Amino acid sequence: MSKSKSRQTRPAAFSSSLILIASAGLLIAATGFAGPSGKFERTYSPQGAAHLTISNVNGRIRVAAWDKKTVSVRADAAPSVSIEDRVVGEDINISVKRNFRLSRADFEVSLPADSSLVLRNVIGNIEVQGVNGHISVNSIDSDIRLVRVNSPAIDVKVTSGDIYFDGELREGGSYSFQSMRGDLDVTLPGSTPFNLNARALSENINLGGFLSHLTGASRGTKGVSGNYLNGGSRLTLTTYEGRILLHKK
Amino acid sequence: MICNQCQELISDYIDGSLELGEQVQIERHLGDCEACRAVRDDLLQIVHFSHQLPQHAPSGAVWTRIQADVAQQRGPWLRAFPWLTWLKTRRLDLSLPQMAATAAAIVIAVSAAVLFSRHESPQPQVTGAGAQGVSTAEAIPLSNSDFQQIEKQINRLSESVEQRKVEWDPELRSAFERNLLYVDQCLAECRHQLNDNPADDVSQELMLNAYREKVRLLEGFEHF
Repeated sequence: MSKSKSRQTRPAAFSSSLILIASAGLLIAATGFAGPSGKFERTYSPQGAAHLTISNVNGRIRVAAWDKKTVSVRADAAPSVSIEDRVVGEDINISVKRNFRLSRADFEVSLPADSSLVLRNVIGNIEVQGVNGHISVNSIDSDIRLVRVNSPAIDVKVTSGDIYFDGELREGGSYSFQSMRGDLDVTLPGSTPFNLNARALSENINLGGFLSHLTGASRGTKGVSGNYLNGGSRLTLTTYEGRILLHKK
Repeated sequence: MICNQCQELISDYIDGSLELGEQVQIERHLGDCEACRAVRDDLLQIVHFSHQLPQHAPSGAVWTRIQADVAQQRGPWLRAFPWLTWLKTRRLDLSLPQMAATAAAIVIAVSAAVLFSRHESPQPQVTGAGAQGVSTAEAIPLSNSDFQQIEKQINRLSESVEQRKVEWDPELRSAFERNLLYVDQCLAECRHQLNDNPADDVSQELMLNAYREKVRLLEGFEHF
């Protein structure tokens, strides 16, 4: 009796094992490691506009738009660094595993221009070129450069480091740049309307050619608010120990 | 650690030149001692304030005069205020306007501390923020509930980071300490400006924002 019961349950146990092994295989496939050589290379093919999140610890992140529909991510990392990636639909999430050290990993990313970006770092400069999706940058000790960017919303926060932006603002968009200790250098086309809220504890705000066309303005030593060409998108600039510099293209 | 020991080391702590063990001891003491936190915040303000002033080299004659004056007066002052040894041993390269401004800042800070120690303000004040220090030495005429919530959050995060920090490598610790110092300097400067002009909306906004930044910083390091 017991033997036949055992025979009956064996196929079920075997298929369960297969499912377990297959699931484990899928998990391993979705989780990459920098490997002993310290190289991480992946190419993703999202169906729609990609949402890429990179959570780095220490190292440079460079992102540039290209004409292809794929997303390419390469990282040079110290051999001890563990880099994981997870893909769910169009969401691509790549993260450097945190430990007690500032292990270095430098990322190079190429992606379609309509991709959205979330970039996190502790130390290391971040550069984004030609991206038109939402951009969020959150770092501690980094210089940030956003060039040829035409995004509906940008949020950049850094504790120490300069922020450089040369791009366009979209009607109704929201753009926020903040550094506790660093300059904010923003270059915009002269024809772009925006609502400005600039705050500099250091009392160093230079609005360049935009100042003379600012209406409804409240101007103090530490803060300037007002509408440029009757307003449009919201531009918020905040620095504590640094300058705010606005340039016309 | 007692207050005298803490105040002897506090300037080196601000400079980031202490050994790991001493840093931990100082931070533990600062977490419990409001008076030493006030000394630290005053020093931060002075350092920060003097960094903002234009650099002019004084003539040799001015230095000679100052050295002679200091030599005459330093004995009793240094015994009474051990942390002044830090000021004594630093080459500050200050011009006369810088020195005058710094002296004014010290006078204002001391006056404010004396006033607030004698008269309790009827307005709600921002309370202390634990190990990483939101100072309680100066009154901030803001009773926004946002501040209280953020301070609770800062206390919780500070405790968590303090526990983890012991295991970090020196580079990570240094990055954290450096950036925390920047944020604390900004907070000290905001408090200073709010003390000068409590109704200044921009300073209030910047202060609230700086608190949020401190939360962001602590959260960023909480998972190391």
